[in-house]
Amino acid sequence: MINLRFGDVNREILGALSAPGRLYWTVVGLLTLGVVYGALVWGYQVLTGVGVAGHRPPVMWGSYLVNFVFWVGIAHSGTLVSAILFLFRARWRTGISRAAEAMTVFAVMIATLFVLIHLGRPWVVYWVIPYPNQRYLWPDFQSPLVFDFLAVNTYFVVSLLFWYTGLVPDLASVRDRTSGIRQKIYGLFSLGWSGTHRQWHHYGASYLLLAALATPLVISVHSVVSWDFALSVIPGYHSTIFAPYFVAGAIHSGLAMVLTLLVPLRRIFHFENIITKDTLEMIAKTSIVMALIVGYAYIVEYFIAWYGGNRVERQTFIFRALGYYAPFFWIMCFCNVVAPLFFFWKRVRRSLACLLVIAILINIGMWLERFVIIIGSISQDFLPYQWGYYWPNWVEISIGFGTACLFFLWFLLFAKFVPSVAMAEVKEEVGAPMRAEEAGRAP
Amino acid sequence: MPREQSVIAVFAYVDDMLTCLRHLRERNCDIRAVFSPMRLREVQEIMTPRPSTVRLFTLLGGILGGLGFVALAVYAHLSFKLITSGKPVLAWIPWVIVCFEGTILLAVSFSVIAWIVNGRLPRVRPAAGYDPRFSDNRFGILVLPSAAQREEIVRLLQSAGAEEIRDVAD
Repeated sequence: MINLRFGDVNREILGALSAPGRLYWTVVGLLTLGVVYGALVWGYQVLTGVGVAGHRPPVMWGSYLVNFVFWVGIAHSGTLVSAILFLFRARWRTGISRAAEAMTVFAVMIATLFVLIHLGRPWVVYWVIPYPNQRYLWPDFQSPLVFDFLAVNTYFVVSLLFWYTGLVPDLASVRDRTSGIRQKIYGLFSLGWSGTHRQWHHYGASYLLLAALATPLVISVHSVVSWDFALSVIPGYHSTIFAPYFVAGAIHSGLAMVLTLLVPLRRIFHFENIITKDTLEMIAKTSIVMALIVGYAYIVEYFIAWYGGNRVERQTFIFRALGYYAPFFWIMCFCNVVAPLFFFWKRVRRSLACLLVIAILINIGMWLERFVIIIGSISQDFLPYQWGYYWPNWVEISIGFGTACLFFLWFLLFAKFVPSVAMAEVKEEVGAPMRAEEAGRAP
Repeated sequence: MPREQSVIAVFAYVDDMLTCLRHLRERNCDIRAVFSPMRLREVQEIMTPRPSTVRLFTLLGGILGGLGFVALAVYAHLSFKLITSGKPVLAWIPWVIVCFEGTILLAVSFSVIAWIVNGRLPRVRPAAGYDPRFSDNRFGILVLPSAAQREEIVRLLQSAGAEEIRDVAD
């Protein structure tokens, strides 16, 4: 799938690390402004109180929780592409694994940020950490929120270590081709890597184990996130299918974000020989599968609501399809289930514009899915006297915008300062030069 | 007494390098390191046939993590002074998740530490004999011949197709 010769790998990939142009810095500047704006609004929220956000009873978990679940979901596909497809020896992952892993790390960081943002007093977040204290209070290890804290933090650490482990040999390549302060920085992070047989031996064993350990973790993280909801009694939340449903949705949104980032990356850095159309087509095909699974989950939710015979549950799902938030529900169904089905046509799968448009639609659809589930379910639960509608206000929208800017800013900096394609893996993929082969090729 | 000097041979072709490596092994030469820009299974088979000890460290980390996190949960629940009723104080079933997360977290952390330490990293400078081309498209063998063997080894490296051979001070 990679149209490159062994000797050209470093030159092609490291070419992206050349001095950035004016357009790059302009975009970085604009994104930084967006981040600063979001940070200022968060500062306003901290000074004034979390009440300035649009959270009102009964919706006390507003868009911050929607964003948290959305970003955790986005984080899924990086490790999926890196770990699970690595174990299955899916060769098409090689060109995109590094960028997908970076996306994972950044998305988990953004998700974790929303937990802090949602706290009225973010400086006491350390109370979640179990340590002897004068209050005699300890975190409840039976609580799904503590499960979530453990799962998301474990996922972040594991994703970061997995990403960094893959990066070390490539950072050494950059070190060897730079000078001055840049060489010192890349040298520091490459740990003095020399590519000796001893290093490759232990590195290879560890990388395989990391992939094997990260695989169940990918499945567990979003399962645990789904149990934040499923272990409560709220109709619309309390469902046994939530874990596989959330995992499928997470992979769906993550793959869409991979496409959203890779299509421009491929164009801007001229990675056409590495991130080939075949690779993008494979992601599109996987998106079809995920769309069908997600669509099946939507139908099963309705079946359970009808077949279960619970009147409140049935009312919740009628409200979801026909009530106040119904437009969101139907847009969600179109974006997540119908739009990816266009990938059945080969011409759509191989058109970069179509890939990008459908990927963005899926991203929108997956955000709306979280909104419909989280907000819709608590807007109308058991007692009619506590029903109420919610819309994110300017504070929440500003903070959401700022964090999205932060995510794209990090990715842009990553693409320019770190090899965004795993060079050592690409070299394995294209194969080392053999004299016997060269002699065979000679006229 | 003259200082012993290693010899580094640079290869452009991996099959040349592997053939040379096998010959050196047959002659029981002291092969200090084999450099490559990527993982080469054949090199591992010749140089390090035994499985990596990283596996054991990973297992150790997993066991410590799983037991440690459950122990923390038990300690936290037994230390909770406010009286709550209706539920068992030690709830083992939900702690399967706690145990799982601890297992993965420490197994991965130990695995990463193990490959770094076993690979004799971190270090300020790359290993002796290292050439920046080894992170690009060249392969290298660093060998320490005895004084008697020296000429024979150099001839062997040349005949195997090394494009460059030079001495490296230890």
